[in-house]
Amino acid sequence: MALELMAPHPQGQMAATASRPKAPVLSLRGIRKSYRSGDVQTPVLHGIDLDVQAGDYVALMGSSGSGKSTLMNLMGLLDRCDEGSYTLQGHDVSQLSAAQHAEVRNARIGFVFQSFNLLKRMSVLDNIALPLIYAGRSRASARDRAERLLEQVGLGAMASRMSNQLSGGQQQRVAIARALVNEATLLLADEPTGNLDTQTTAEVLDIFERLNRETGLTIVLVTHEPDVALQAQRLVRLKDGRIAFDGHPQEQAHA
Amino acid sequence: MKPLQILNEALRALNSNRLRSALTMLGVVIGIASVLLMLSVGDAVRSYIAKELAVLGSNQLIVQPGTPVEGGVRRRAGDTPNLTLDDARALAQLPSLRGAAPALQGFFQLHYGDANSNQTVLGTIPAMLELRNWQIERGVAIDERDVQSANRVAVIGSMLARKYYADRAPVGQVLRLDGQPFTIIGVLAGKGRTLDGTELGELTLVPISAMPLRLARPGLVHYISLQAHSAKHMDDARQDAEELLRDRHHITGDKKDDFVITDLASIAETGTSIATGLSVGLGVIGAISLLVCGIGIMNIMLVSVSERVREIGIRMAIGARPRDVLWQFLGEALVLCLIGGVIGLGLAALGALGVNSLDKMSVSLSTQHMAVAVGFASLVGLFFGYYPARRASTLLPIECLRQD
Repeated sequence: MALELMAPHPQGQMAATASRPKAPVLSLRGIRKSYRSGDVQTPVLHGIDLDVQAGDYVALMGSSGSGKSTLMNLMGLLDRCDEGSYTLQGHDVSQLSAAQHAEVRNARIGFVFQSFNLLKRMSVLDNIALPLIYAGRSRASARDRAERLLEQVGLGAMASRMSNQLSGGQQQRVAIARALVNEATLLLADEPTGNLDTQTTAEVLDIFERLNRETGLTIVLVTHEPDVALQAQRLVRLKDGRIAFDGHPQEQAHA
Repeated sequence: MKPLQILNEALRALNSNRLRSALTMLGVVIGIASVLLMLSVGDAVRSYIAKELAVLGSNQLIVQPGTPVEGGVRRRAGDTPNLTLDDARALAQLPSLRGAAPALQGFFQLHYGDANSNQTVLGTIPAMLELRNWQIERGVAIDERDVQSANRVAVIGSMLARKYYADRAPVGQVLRLDGQPFTIIGVLAGKGRTLDGTELGELTLVPISAMPLRLARPGLVHYISLQAHSAKHMDDARQDAEELLRDRHHITGDKKDDFVITDLASIAETGTSIATGLSVGLGVIGAISLLVCGIGIMNIMLVSVSERVREIGIRMAIGARPRDVLWQFLGEALVLCLIGGVIGLGLAALGALGVNSLDKMSVSLSTQHMAVAVGFASLVGLFFGYYPARRASTLLPIECLRQD
């Protein structure tokens, strides 16, 4: 099943853009998660049901402790839920092994983090190429593709720089290029603008907006900034581990 | 990830923390160098002993007069000569022996033209050279006619020839032994300690009949050298020789022998087992140093893993499988050990050159040893790198990403 998930599907993605079918990219049912520290069990998510359609641009909001990051990590297969099912592109992925999760993340999911999370000792180009290397591509072809992605985010001249020599905005654009290098269907962004100034925040959000509009990329973005959430077409607000609101951002963002 | 990329990543990671990598590698370098040197020195000692033993001749037995007790005082073996030339001749006829050679040995002042020195002179018969496997470097050996006619001829050791006849050919020169002129007819090849500890290179051989020694009665000899056909026949040879001598010396019933037969193969065995024990001991020391360096590697790799938890998390997020992470760290430990192993090999080669320059023995690194060293280095890397690498690979991605 994992292998099917990994099958290439460039046309599929484009077709999805055109017709916007109602088949969900991801579907969560009855997701529960609690953390244990010592003897104390702290419940974080109390049964989440959520569908994200292909081409959706979802902003996930909530106060700290509401469980939005936990939900994001579960969607990204970085963590396992205690209960519930997770269907990604029609396949139940909640029971897969750690290695299979890694393969699904590699082929299907792109991550953009608040703290960029680039590898410091590597050049910008190698950072972008790394997911392809893990996918088994040759170094030459991986760098080739990475170079094209770097051009797309407007940093073609920075290829050989070490990643920590870049500004925050540049690093985040490199991270976006890395997230897209394997043609992910789902982009998960955890507070992607949290460490950026207004100017670069606008630039990054502009890239997201364009990716969503032009390639039909499904984006789930965690933020606590209402302005950022307004960019999305759909807002999901979590409160105490439950979905408190799910609708158009303008209805709720400033509430 | 492909092996080449694993190597690439490993080199990058090691390069980014050069001092630590170098220090860890130093442990491997020293460990491998010491294992190699120990193995090689052990081998060299063994071949040195084997060479020394070869000078003694193989499968040797020696018959000496017994230890008679006179007035309650036990005398030293050989103090009272009671072996004769006839005993030697009879022993030489035994089928279980390859040969027997009588010997008269003494310490004399020798005059070589202007120079003189005190040296051991061995009076014997041609068979002695065969038994001991002594070769002639120049000239000829003593022959039967020399023994029959008591010719005053001498074969001298190679060191004497080099020392006293450096500027002229020794063969044909005359030396004086106890005031009597002896013509040098040959030079013995080689050097090393003979059975009684005399240096072969400083020995002078003369026909036993020409030996200027007067024992209690004519025909007596100091000892008789015997050689068995092979190591397997040592016991037979010894038994036969004992029976023959008891018979000839009229010793019957449970009376004690008036002679002693010493089996020199056992000396050789002792020498060989000392050498083997030595190389095993040295090998153990080397192995311990490798163990210590392996623990050092494990320690550093554990530190490295815990320092790079976040990196591991990022890699996992973008698609590194547990086995990719495992190989990443295992690759680092392996590369560290292999580079260290190769440097250690170089160091051992230098050490071997150093030992060789002392001129005591010749140490050489065999390809077998090199293969062992490189193999050991990678084993150490795999063995001690596995646990930290395994630990890294079983981390949960989210827990890694939460760390700062």
